[in-house]
Amino acid sequence: MLDQDLLSRLLGRALQHGGEFADVFCERRRTLSYRLQDGHIHEASYGVTLGVGIRVVIGESAGYAFSDDLSARALLEAADAASLISRNAPAGEAHAVDLSVDHVASLYNSEPPGEFDPTRYVGMLESADAAARRYDPHVIAVNAHVSDEMQEVWIATSDGRLVEDRRPLVTLGVQVVASDKKERGSGYVGDGGRVSLAYFDRETPAALAAEAARIATVNLAAVPAPAGEMEMIVGAGGGGVLLHEAVGHGLESDFNRRGTSLYSGRIGERVASELVTIYDDGNLREERGSLNVDDEGVPGQHKVLVENGVLLGYMQDRLNAHLMGAESTGSGRRQSFRFAPQPRMCNTYMPNGDADVDEIVASTQRGIFAKSFAGGQVEIAKGDFVFMVGEGYLIENGKITTPVRNATIIGNGPEAMMKVVAVGNDARLARRHYTCGKGGQYVPVGVGMPTVKIASITVGGTQHE
Amino acid sequence: MNDAAALDLAGRALTLARETGAQAAEVSVSIVRRFHAEARENVVARLEGSTGKGLFLRVFRDGRKATLSTSDFSDEGLRDAVVRAVAHADLVSPDEFAGLPDEVAPATGMDLDLHDPRIADRDGTEKVDEALSLERLIRAADARVVNSSGSHYTDAVAVTAMANSTGFAAAYPWTRAGRSTGPIALDGEVKRIGQYGTAARRFEDLETSESVAVTAVQRAVNLFGARKPPTMRVPVIFERDVAAALLDDLFAAVSGANVAVGNSWLSGRVGNRIGSDLVTIVDDGRVPGGLGSAPFDGEGVATRRTPVFERGVLRSFLYDTYYARKLGAATTGNSTGGGVGPSNFYLEPGSMSLAELIAATPQGVLVMDTIGFATEHASGTYSRGARGFFIEGGELAYPIDEFTVAGQYTDMLAGVDAVANDLRFDASVISPSFRIAEMTVSGN
Repeated sequence: MLDQDLLSRLLGRALQHGGEFADVFCERRRTLSYRLQDGHIHEASYGVTLGVGIRVVIGESAGYAFSDDLSARALLEAADAASLISRNAPAGEAHAVDLSVDHVASLYNSEPPGEFDPTRYVGMLESADAAARRYDPHVIAVNAHVSDEMQEVWIATSDGRLVEDRRPLVTLGVQVVASDKKERGSGYVGDGGRVSLAYFDRETPAALAAEAARIATVNLAAVPAPAGEMEMIVGAGGGGVLLHEAVGHGLESDFNRRGTSLYSGRIGERVASELVTIYDDGNLREERGSLNVDDEGVPGQHKVLVENGVLLGYMQDRLNAHLMGAESTGSGRRQSFRFAPQPRMCNTYMPNGDADVDEIVASTQRGIFAKSFAGGQVEIAKGDFVFMVGEGYLIENGKITTPVRNATIIGNGPEAMMKVVAVGNDARLARRHYTCGKGGQYVPVGVGMPTVKIASITVGGTQHE
Repeated sequence: MNDAAALDLAGRALTLARETGAQAAEVSVSIVRRFHAEARENVVARLEGSTGKGLFLRVFRDGRKATLSTSDFSDEGLRDAVVRAVAHADLVSPDEFAGLPDEVAPATGMDLDLHDPRIADRDGTEKVDEALSLERLIRAADARVVNSSGSHYTDAVAVTAMANSTGFAAAYPWTRAGRSTGPIALDGEVKRIGQYGTAARRFEDLETSESVAVTAVQRAVNLFGARKPPTMRVPVIFERDVAAALLDDLFAAVSGANVAVGNSWLSGRVGNRIGSDLVTIVDDGRVPGGLGSAPFDGEGVATRRTPVFERGVLRSFLYDTYYARKLGAATTGNSTGGGVGPSNFYLEPGSMSLAELIAATPQGVLVMDTIGFATEHASGTYSRGARGFFIEGGELAYPIDEFTVAGQYTDMLAGVDAVANDLRFDASVISPSFRIAEMTVSGN
């Protein structure tokens, strides 16, 4: 996007007042999306994100500036603005930084770069709409969207590397509302990944829409959720939101370097039941959270966060890794060129345990089965987390029975993970539609998990005997 | 910031849209200079300053609509993006309701006191010092503060311009500044964080750094020794910030965009009594200095004051032009450009203070903070993680956390039995504290 000479000059200019490290992040992203509403293609949207972000790091301080004007003059001004962070350091000189190009193999499965083919989107959306309406006469509304994005990034760092990544991301989302005139219920299913549209030949829009319609009709028939402490079984796949909230965020290195996470300084300690192992992986083929290189130019990695209940590692970006005497784990991510990177999750999951899923259910007297989650949130310092059940059922005397309305579940990270009493042998990754927010920045992520049983947790429904 | 630069860019995009086949088009452009300083202890952890532009274009052709958002403002890049956006309209279904608004804002009545030159003129060092001083203030406020998630000073100096192919073109400058901090206090082994911040259009309307620091620290240390409450049905008081989060949910249910697609529990209920007599909720885009105020909305329609609930009766949903036409109503000036959004959306305050409200509650729960969010608005179910105090005999008896509070929105609005007087226009969606007669608190 920018020529190599200019990148070298920008890095030199960024370090004009000293500073330990600088990087230049160039981004060109094109997104095309189509939206269906009321059985019709409602809107087409095209988006272009084009710009450059420049960062200067000195100690634990970072200066950042971006520009959507790509002229050398504007970019040099941005480098000057970022360099202000080290203006009190001994005066240096602006030396250009020599860059050599690093090549990385691709984890993505994308068609060769070409033009978007919008007629395919229209066909996908229409097929989703028809399938949802066919599924059940109570379906009153179908809202669907498909988006196809190509994000190209070029990252130049003051240690002399220049790397490039081209990241495809497609998403199909279907939201269905069912009504019987008295009550309403809704269901959402999304899928996609770092793949081409050919992915939806296998995972068809019709099947995804029928699944959303099924959830909507289940929620239509749902009774108010119970209130109080009870056993909980978390469903395979989407249940991984539990790991993301209860543990994942607390292991991001910025919180731990600053000592603001409840997991700070606890490497080597027991933080979960010995049945619990948690990985974060930037290298899973085609997954939403995968990255050939992160937004600081570091290749994605497989990270063991927790093994048999023991905390083994944090997710590191460059700045925090350097200050903690560690190496980056390829976890530096940003929403766009307008933001400085933060340590973030990629795809967070738990591998198989050895429990039989039917036996897990049969062993549960009174509880809730959270088949999927619609989202979650955590407060890092104390570790209290919530997640919102997307599809849930009561468990009574060893059987999954009545569906319950979307309740919030609340727990504390380590307390809940200590209470994991069974891990199933049905591990899988969730359908790919999750987006994680932190500090105002949103990035695509993946989650996964086998069926897991937690001995007790607080269910936030309304029904209290 | 320069009105002319924004209007010029908007004009370029409109011309390109007309040249490439759009029959009608509208464009909004914002140019924003942002500043952000974050301090931790005596270190400036982050210093960010940039001027960014955003352009959002909507084009119409034979009732088909397509949109473009871009940050490529080169001649070639803008032309290419507009050509593509216009071409994509071909595959969109014709829609009789799509199109420009019938009436745009008059040229007068633009000044809503949204711009404070003092913010633009502030010196960078002074702003950085503010973040550093917040770090000192939280530590001085209470010896139990051992750490922080960071203290921040942010501001924005901007101009927003809007133009459409009927000849409408207008621009207005705006500013915004904010201070916030997140002290962490150590309660035995437990880290307790207290987040608090202030934001305003005018610098002098910001709460002082001292007051921000004290409130944030109180939020952390007040919860010391918090325990999980028993599961019970009790009156619940929502303190103003969490009350505002609840109103955010309620906004989604009165948004014409959700009503039109069946995704609102309030669909078909205009004219019905939903809430108690104390529930009067207003959307007002013309509050002077309001953070949700603007002279015109995202499609150039004049903003206004719309009663949404009056003494419990649902009076109106909120609309942009498209959803108003679709639902047989008139726009309420709530277009965000791409959808429907709140301006200043608030519950009318009552006359008692929060302290008086607590004193008038023999037994109940005061919710001071919630986590979680609504993921769907079809069923009207509310459930959030929470922390706060258990109230006994009109007094804060002991702090509680790790519980949820839940109910159905219909019951909750009908159950509003007291509203406090502590409304502040420090965000777009705001509320005074209020009490709901009975909700389910779920703990042990």
